[in-house]
Amino acid sequence: MIKVQNLSKTFISHIKEPGLKGSIKALVKRETKVKEALKSVNLEIKRGEIIGLIGANGAGKTTLVKILSGIVHPTSGEATVLGFKPWERHNEYRKQMCLIMGQKAQVWWDLPALDSFLLLKEIYQIPDTIYKRNVEFLAETLMVKDHLRTQVRKLSLGERMKIELMAALLHQPSVIFMDEPTIGLDLSAQRAVRDFMKNYQREFKPITILTSHYMEDIKELCPRVVIIKEGEFVYDGALSKIQGMLGDEKCLSVTTKESTYKLNVPRSELASKTSEIFKANEVLDLNIHDPSIEDVIESIMKNGMKSK
Amino acid sequence: MKRYLRLYLHFLQFSFSRAMEFRLDFFFRIMMDIIYYVVNILLFKILFLHTDLIGGWTEEQMMVFVGSYLLVDSINMTIFATNMWWFPTYINRGDLDYYLIRPVSPLFFLSLREFSANSFMNLILAFAFFVYALVAYSGTFTIVELINFLLLLLNGTFIYYCIQMLMVLPVFWTHSSRGFIDLFYSLGIAMERPDKIFKGWLRILFTVFLPFALIASYPAKYFIEGLNLNDLLHLTLVSVGLWIVMLFVWKKALRSYSSASS
Repeated sequence: MIKVQNLSKTFISHIKEPGLKGSIKALVKRETKVKEALKSVNLEIKRGEIIGLIGANGAGKTTLVKILSGIVHPTSGEATVLGFKPWERHNEYRKQMCLIMGQKAQVWWDLPALDSFLLLKEIYQIPDTIYKRNVEFLAETLMVKDHLRTQVRKLSLGERMKIELMAALLHQPSVIFMDEPTIGLDLSAQRAVRDFMKNYQREFKPITILTSHYMEDIKELCPRVVIIKEGEFVYDGALSKIQGMLGDEKCLSVTTKESTYKLNVPRSELASKTSEIFKANEVLDLNIHDPSIEDVIESIMKNGMKSK
Repeated sequence: MKRYLRLYLHFLQFSFSRAMEFRLDFFFRIMMDIIYYVVNILLFKILFLHTDLIGGWTEEQMMVFVGSYLLVDSINMTIFATNMWWFPTYINRGDLDYYLIRPVSPLFFLSLREFSANSFMNLILAFAFFVYALVAYSGTFTIVELINFLLLLLNGTFIYYCIQMLMVLPVFWTHSSRGFIDLFYSLGIAMERPDKIFKGWLRILFTVFLPFALIASYPAKYFIEGLNLNDLLHLTLVSVGLWIVMLFVWKKALRSYSSASS
């Protein structure tokens, strides 16, 4: 179980004007910039639950994941995962947790995956029988049996990601943090990773926090989502309820000779807006539909929650 | 402890299998170090053409000292140097993340992960020269003295490692690409001189704050001139103090680690 209370994280960075002149200036007088990556957030996740953490770049998703996995110390506030304070980095905690970052590899580049796995077996003290069973099971379900003896750098991105998943799950963690696991993958590899995670979640019931930019990932895997905007949670609840969030708005997709664009319009202004568009442009196609989940989330990420 | 040994065996295995892959690099490294050894030995040989004593030592005593620091240097090159080289990169790119989440000391990983199989050949060469200098040495010594000498040299290697760590740890705050490791290498020459040539504040600097003189010179002094309780006490205090300071800075550094964003 994960419990987060009033958790905040502030980063202080130095800013410097471009060029040599800026560097010299920065030498004499450094200007600092304070960035509040997380502003007093609260969160509770139960065992077996998987949540999707969504937000724009720089919204604070990764910071939250890094605090909960013990990499970064928070500035203030409390958090416990399985009863441990993550940043105290108890071995008991670290043995039950895993982190998968789509943009940072954890297996050794120059070595076959199996070599890295053996190292992990040692690190996590996985007994022989369990190790064997897990390698077999994971390789089977991820369909990477033939790639385990190839140097990782010679594998494709999709295959590599599957190897990363294997490496992270070998010790059967009960808490999983996944930061953009499908980034850069082609559609079929994305689907494979997604399907795998879905089955894994169903079977082993870990606590999972998933961040992703691909709405497909979220829609398939996470019944519950948390939307984060500039360090604050603007929505925490069921994904299915999100669609009603924009209330009375309709979505217009307009195709003109020059471009295609979308806009959200309150139902009451629908007629006037449409005729306006027809007057101003040479419209080739116009669609009126309910906003999709993507539309709603995009709107929330951009404008925050509207009070209805 | 046993587990850490087993982990280290994995590192060894990895590095040897990788070293086989890059053979050109392998030979280049060996050539570079042979040149370094020859230059060091010749330097003192030439100096001794003009004088009989340097820092109170004769030529054959000096060769024991040269053998000592070449040995320490090659052990460092084999075990620590590559890791120290990568250290700033790991911190700045945020690779430390994956070490922090493992139930194993991240300091162990960062310091020992890359065993340099290439330098291992040079370790053998340096050791050969060390043995040669001992054989050529006309003074007498017992087995116990020899073992103590070797232990002091190992302690010297450890001091060498701690100083390097203190030079790279500021990377956590400065985010520079090399830390102060260049300063380390330019000051490191202090290790290659008998400590008796340092006087006044230089002596304090090189025996207490940046104790390069304790790495090989003090052990050689023990071996050549016999036990001096003051020196031994000094060596113990500074070694322990250095380790404590290093761990303290490391803990502080982890607290302020901000982890480059992905």
